[in-house]
Amino acid sequence: MGDNNGLKQTMGNVVGSQKFIAVLALVAIYIFFAISSESFRSTDTLVSIFDASYYIGFLAIGVTFVIITGGIDLSIGTVMMCSAIIGGVLFQMGMPMWLTLIMIIAIGGTFGLLNGLLVARFKLPPFIATLGTMMIARGLGSIISNVQSVTFPLRGAEEGFYKSIFRLDNNFPIGIFVLILFAVLAAIVLNKTKVGRYIFSIGSNREATRLSGVDVNKWETIAYVISGLFAGIAGIAYAATYTTILPGEGAGFELDAIAGVVIGGTSLSGGIGSIFGTVIGVFIMSVLKVGLPYIDLQPHYQLFITGIVLIIAVYLDVRRRNKL
Amino acid sequence: MKKGIMKKFLILAALAGLIGLLAACGDDSSEGASGEESGSGDMTVEIVAKGFQHDFWRAVRQGAEEAAEEHGVEMNFVGPQDESAIAEQVEMLNNAVNKNPDAIALAALDTSALIGPIEQSMDRDIPIIGFDSGVPDAPEGAIDANASTDNYAAGELAAENMYPAIEDKVAEADGDVRIGVVAQEVNSFSITERTVGFIDKMAELVEGELGEGTVAVIGHEKLENGVAEGDAKLVIETRVPAELTDSAGQTEAQTLLNKDDLIGIYGSNEFAAKAIINADSAISGGKIGPDKVIAVGFDSGAMQLDAVRSERFYGAVTQDPVSIGYNALDLAVKAANGEEVSDVDTGAVWYDAENVDSEEITDLVYE
Repeated sequence: MGDNNGLKQTMGNVVGSQKFIAVLALVAIYIFFAISSESFRSTDTLVSIFDASYYIGFLAIGVTFVIITGGIDLSIGTVMMCSAIIGGVLFQMGMPMWLTLIMIIAIGGTFGLLNGLLVARFKLPPFIATLGTMMIARGLGSIISNVQSVTFPLRGAEEGFYKSIFRLDNNFPIGIFVLILFAVLAAIVLNKTKVGRYIFSIGSNREATRLSGVDVNKWETIAYVISGLFAGIAGIAYAATYTTILPGEGAGFELDAIAGVVIGGTSLSGGIGSIFGTVIGVFIMSVLKVGLPYIDLQPHYQLFITGIVLIIAVYLDVRRRNKL
Repeated sequence: MKKGIMKKFLILAALAGLIGLLAACGDDSSEGASGEESGSGDMTVEIVAKGFQHDFWRAVRQGAEEAAEEHGVEMNFVGPQDESAIAEQVEMLNNAVNKNPDAIALAALDTSALIGPIEQSMDRDIPIIGFDSGVPDAPEGAIDANASTDNYAAGELAAENMYPAIEDKVAEADGDVRIGVVAQEVNSFSITERTVGFIDKMAELVEGELGEGTVAVIGHEKLENGVAEGDAKLVIETRVPAELTDSAGQTEAQTLLNKDDLIGIYGSNEFAAKAIINADSAISGGKIGPDKVIAVGFDSGAMQLDAVRSERFYGAVTQDPVSIGYNALDLAVKAANGEEVSDVDTGAVWYDAENVDSEEITDLVYE
């Protein structure tokens, strides 16, 4: 018993230290850019960083749940765009905006449910199942939009209120509080409820969880549904930030989100992870993305450097597990 | 254990930082000479294009660099990975505005997505010059002037030049004959204008000869003219790939080339022309060429130039990307100096096997 406690404590410390390192890295990167470029220090730049973080942030928070179960959700990027584009089509057909926003989240949730059933009920490997739904979502968006882009109403236009969820008319980036609110909610679900407890438990030891009488299929499905719902919310964030949704897009965003999750210290083998780390991981990527052009580096350098950061993060993850 | 990890991490972070710095230095020496540091530094112009690595954008950049050198200004040229990366371009324009340059030149992928930073630059009195396809439907007063091709006229130019080569086949056909059009997309204003300019002009020329209602325009909903395929002497069929990949484009081109009644095919940009060439290469014997299907392209690029040289392509229309870049920067500098500026038509030219390697064309096309 004493040993067990000691183990738990060590585990807590290591997870804590990874979070700590991630925060330090975020601050260090920010200060580096702030020193290198005067114009980076403006509030407008900070708003740009927030803007670039919203949709990836929601995707990453959602997929954290799936990754903690030991699974993966590759469909979130295209599900996000598919939900947004179908929402846009519905809106153009006359659906009121508030209902459109609910529909966007519902479409995301439906894809999540599909993923959950395929993985938990039909025992498809998560990688393959979500690869399939990734393609389905991409195709469905193109089919429903007739391969045309969909433009949401502009700020100030009729029904343009949804834009103020993420940025007020006076440019105040209220979206950061929305993101934090959802992050806190997700963290409560993950750490303080039965849902979270079982999700961690499935990720640590699936068989033991099943044998202790937990309906593993159900809770695993719920993890995918949460991921899908967050992909829907990300779709709203994307529409509010970028207004125009192109058909057939979204592939690749899931990898950005998963990279953010991993940089934030969630283990791809399941059982370990935190929402806080995920949010920090996403911001590390956004600061790199927005900051590098200020030191006159083209976007491909961002990929290069994010790759290095990712590898360092995974290296730490591997070391941590070997130590345990 | 905690300390050990920390130490290792710090070493790794320092390494990553070093790599970043090296990359920054490397960038200065390789690209600085070609523009960024070419001027006195008194004035900076941020150029946000619709692409970066593509030949076309390299030629635009080259033109802009020429103008930057002449005016002695600093310029920074950026563009997203591909023409569907709307979010990436929004972030680039945000950055450009945040840097507070003296002027911005912008080729918008999607104006409504860019409204935020555009309005911000209006608030800060940073003049914006549109180039290439410009900034369609921009807010009143946002764009000082445009340096762009009249794409509709350029599309018409393609039809006018194709018509003499297919005129007889249309008039003498027993049933109907078909002209295929491969369009990269129907969202971008410039590509749609070229596509529609071609279709309208071709329909006008054929109907002028054979009478009203003899041309059916089919394919994408946006372009249909309501004449049924069965009633027409000439069918103009447009196909739009489902996604922006070479293979998707090739599939659409191949579908058109496999139709027996096809007499002509038109690709309304380099992507589409390339799709036609690739699709034709996959058909044994090939369908396009003199006395076969008459193929007409748009823009240039190594593959298309070869096809024109070898007469597989009857010819193509080219914009003048160097002139677009040059005029964009020129207008931006003038606007930053407070001069009156007005739109510049950067022109379009027909080229074929005869003049493809002449001096007047080689200046306009790119490999």
